[in-house]
Amino acid sequence: MCKTESQLIAEAKAGNKEAFSELVEKYQKPVFSVCYRMLGTPTAAEDAAQEAFIRAYQALDRYDPERSFATWILSIASNYSIDQLRKKKVTILSMDSDKHAWLAPPDPGPSPEKVALDKEKSALVQAILADLTETDRAAVILQYWHDYSYEEIAENLDLSSSAVKSRLFRARKLMAEKWQEMQLISAPNVNSAAKRIAHETSTI
Amino acid sequence: MKHQQFENWILMDEELNKEQQRDLHGHLKECSQCQALFQANQQITHLFKTAPEPAPVAGFSTRWLGQIDRVEKRKNRIILFSSLGAISLATLILLSTVGLELRSVVGNFPQMLYELVTLIANWIVFLNQMSDIITPLFRVGAKLLSPIWLFIILFGLSGITAAWTVKFYRSRGMQKELN
Repeated sequence: MCKTESQLIAEAKAGNKEAFSELVEKYQKPVFSVCYRMLGTPTAAEDAAQEAFIRAYQALDRYDPERSFATWILSIASNYSIDQLRKKKVTILSMDSDKHAWLAPPDPGPSPEKVALDKEKSALVQAILADLTETDRAAVILQYWHDYSYEEIAENLDLSSSAVKSRLFRARKLMAEKWQEMQLISAPNVNSAAKRIAHETSTI
Repeated sequence: MKHQQFENWILMDEELNKEQQRDLHGHLKECSQCQALFQANQQITHLFKTAPEPAPVAGFSTRWLGQIDRVEKRKNRIILFSSLGAISLATLILLSTVGLELRSVVGNFPQMLYELVTLIANWIVFLNQMSDIITPLFRVGAKLLSPIWLFIILFGLSGITAAWTVKFYRSRGMQKELN
């Protein structure tokens, strides 16, 4: 029988790790995704995602059932990633797309062209995010990939809504400048991906 | 309208009304800088939406179970060692305290032993003398008095002794308070 999320949370609160591992199974992808976008490498993302789930499990007593579990776990993941970036100052976000190879392929059996394009896009994404501050990066990730509202981002990152607005404004400006700069540089693979994106947007 | 306003419209994540949209499109035709910014913003949004979502390798939750087991074992070990440490510390403090007390006792030991022996000797002498007085009385009394009277006298003597003892200790206590 398939258990509901609240049942799994209640069982996990009682010390059932297996129940919590079902929640891990369910939310591993968004949590890993946030960590990957924040930290830029699959290894760091794996460690951070594992740690985020461990922290969530240990803090389950403090979890407010009124709040969405997804929002709660993503806030733990994003805050942990911010802390990691501040501690280690991870700056491995190079333009080399090979460094951004997936731990797991996003689509089973994709064509080599698709794999190459995905790698290029991933490299571009990480390169664009690289220049943002930790908090700005988290705000961008939560807004673009997880459709968070200003209020939700503010709650997650412990900021005011107006601060989130101005941070996102500043981040978009920086990213646009970086994008324009990248289109001018000579990295062949990134340049081709950027051109492809430009072509795709012009045809929309 | 100022150039900055158009830049704000491009970078802000808010819906523009029809008039604002018309103004913006008009400005984009004239301003190459704003046009480049607008396109860059659009392209980034498109890139973010089309970039594949990263996923961990299979077995993430199994690895998590292994991790949490290790973390809990480590936590339990820390609790165990902390408890052992606390108990050892408490024992050390207790032993030190008892040791200091013992040292003061051991220092006066000959005097204490002497006092104890003297006390025991005094009690033996006292009990001997009492038995010398009481034994003949009992012998005579047993011949002269019936068992009932003997019991009454003994009971009365015990009562008097108890009353005297209580009075003695109370007066001693009061004397100590006065001192």
